[in-house]
Amino acid sequence: MPIDGAAKRPASPGDDQPLAELRAILLGPDRAAWEAMRQRLDNPSRRAEDVAGVLAEAVRLRSHPDVKLRRALQPLLEEALQLSVQSNPRMLADALFPIFGKAIRKAIASELDGMLQSLSQTLEQSFSWRSLEWRWESFRTGKPYAEIVVLRSLLYRVEQVFLIHRNSGLLLQHVTAPSSGAPADTRDPEMVSGMLTAIQDFVRDSVSGAESENLETVRMGEIGVVLAYGTDAILAGFVRGSAPRKLRRVFQDTLDAIEQKNAESLRTFSGDTSRFDSCRPQLEACLLGQAKPDEKSSSAWGARALLFGVPMLLALALVGWWIYSASVERRWVDFARRLGSEPGIVLTGSEKRGSKYYFSGLRDPLAAVPAALLPAGLASTKAEFHFEEYHSLVPRFAAERRLAALKDEVEKRSFRFPTGRAEIPPEQRFLLEDVGAQMIALIQAAAALGKTAQIEVRGNHDPLGTEQLNSALARSRADNVRAALVTLGVPSARLIAAPEDKETCSAVEEEERMFCRSATFRVTGL
Amino acid sequence: MLKKKICMVGHFGVGKTSLVRRFVDSMFDERYLTTVGVKIDRKDVMVGSETVTLMLWDLAGEDDLEQLKISHLRGASGYILVMDGCRAITLAKAVELQERITAQLGPLPFVAVLNKADLRDQWEVQESALAEHRWATFETSAKAGRGVEEMFLALAAKLLP
Repeated sequence: MPIDGAAKRPASPGDDQPLAELRAILLGPDRAAWEAMRQRLDNPSRRAEDVAGVLAEAVRLRSHPDVKLRRALQPLLEEALQLSVQSNPRMLADALFPIFGKAIRKAIASELDGMLQSLSQTLEQSFSWRSLEWRWESFRTGKPYAEIVVLRSLLYRVEQVFLIHRNSGLLLQHVTAPSSGAPADTRDPEMVSGMLTAIQDFVRDSVSGAESENLETVRMGEIGVVLAYGTDAILAGFVRGSAPRKLRRVFQDTLDAIEQKNAESLRTFSGDTSRFDSCRPQLEACLLGQAKPDEKSSSAWGARALLFGVPMLLALALVGWWIYSASVERRWVDFARRLGSEPGIVLTGSEKRGSKYYFSGLRDPLAAVPAALLPAGLASTKAEFHFEEYHSLVPRFAAERRLAALKDEVEKRSFRFPTGRAEIPPEQRFLLEDVGAQMIALIQAAAALGKTAQIEVRGNHDPLGTEQLNSALARSRADNVRAALVTLGVPSARLIAAPEDKETCSAVEEEERMFCRSATFRVTGL
Repeated sequence: MLKKKICMVGHFGVGKTSLVRRFVDSMFDERYLTTVGVKIDRKDVMVGSETVTLMLWDLAGEDDLEQLKISHLRGASGYILVMDGCRAITLAKAVELQERITAQLGPLPFVAVLNKADLRDQWEVQESALAEHRWATFETSAKAGRGVEEMFLALAAKLLP
């Protein structure tokens, strides 16, 4: 302070010289240093250099005690980053790519993996009986279909769980599923544990992966190995079947819990595995599994029988009904064909309307009656026939018609007799030849159609006279005509006397009575 | 029960695998050695009244092409340094290996083994050369089964506190 006081004292011209000398003697060596210091303080660029020299160390020191510096820098850094992105986004992108690219790739790969798994399963299950069963179960229980699929499709069983010391590959604990039936086949778990660690190293070395990357699954046919990694331990599960992805999550959570609880034991592990006996319940909890369908209870079988039996029966009934109706249909078609081929019937249409079958066309009156042609089993009530009459040119029908005409002609013929006489009067005899010829033609025409014609000759009388006389008279008249016709060549076996009857002519006038004294004919057997 | 990881190291063809085969019944095929580079066997030994399970990691022999992967030795409680008495180079290799392991994993208990004692008349390795390393050394013959059991037991004893 005295120096300052001296410096500030008002200078008198007389004092100046010695004082300056004294100052120079006392302060001379320091003056240069002061001057340099003053220049450093006054010169901004020098000051910046000084601060730059200690800035890093100052920041390091300041960052430890509290967060004030960080808070102070935060807005600056944010602003700087923003500016950097605005001016040259490429630079930041290049810097971040190695981190983000890797993370994104991993996330996408994992997502795709899961998606593929679910897609392939969905495809596999969409077209199977099982999916129908699940849809029914979903409908029945009201659970979403996806949930049922997850519940039922991921059939797996964790058969063995290994807790492995990560560094040494030594087995810490090992549990086996009680009914897996595997132990007989299980290789020494100690060696399996070691080999698993070695193979993990081998795979990592082979693909030159980073230390932080691990073998996550191993698969060999039906068996897969699910692996979860902690700082000091590995949890590995041998899984039969298709393990759901969430299983790894379960393993990871279990391992995390074990590591947390046994951190000290794991870190200082020197071969004494008994310290990890307490982990067994946790490991046993990892022996998860989804029951296979063939292990279902009988009630489930009953439900399944009901589920499939009823629709199956319905389907069978449907098929049966279809076969039956098809066969009935075919019989109607056969009948229509038969009807069409029947002589004297021309079928122009046949169709089914509702439950009835309609047949229409032309029919010769001599042809068979359609309804009579229906085979057994086809109800006549189901059939409707509409046939117009026509004359067929089928030879048989022509012959039939000629026979009918001949029959008519023969039956119109008669011989008349005078009162009380039985001989054929001379003026009637010329008819005999004509009638005889007609009868022979009739018999022949009938024979051609396979028939045996019989011609009855009937003797008649008028109401006059005694019954006894009249009856004898009638008989004689018939006999005489018959004898005359037989003489003309009509076969006697075909020409017979008609049985007697009590029928009498009731005519009163002579004009009428003369028609009663006759012999007439009736043709039978056609 | 105590379990210890033990590694067999040494130059190519010194007889590591034969020594292990003498000592245990193997479960894994020896092809593992050439494919994965390691084969693991197990042997339970009695040290005093205590049973110790030795997990023997037989590591593929080091040759000019293949370098030993020290990562395989991680977590090992000890190792067996195997040499072939008939080849002097295997001693040089053993010295180099021992130094590498110590450098990376720190001092680990180990025993040195001069194998092929059945061919002692053809030995190239000088006892004086070996003596300067002051290793606990055993002479074994995997072929005749001589010294093998003792060597493993000696190492097991070293591992116990």
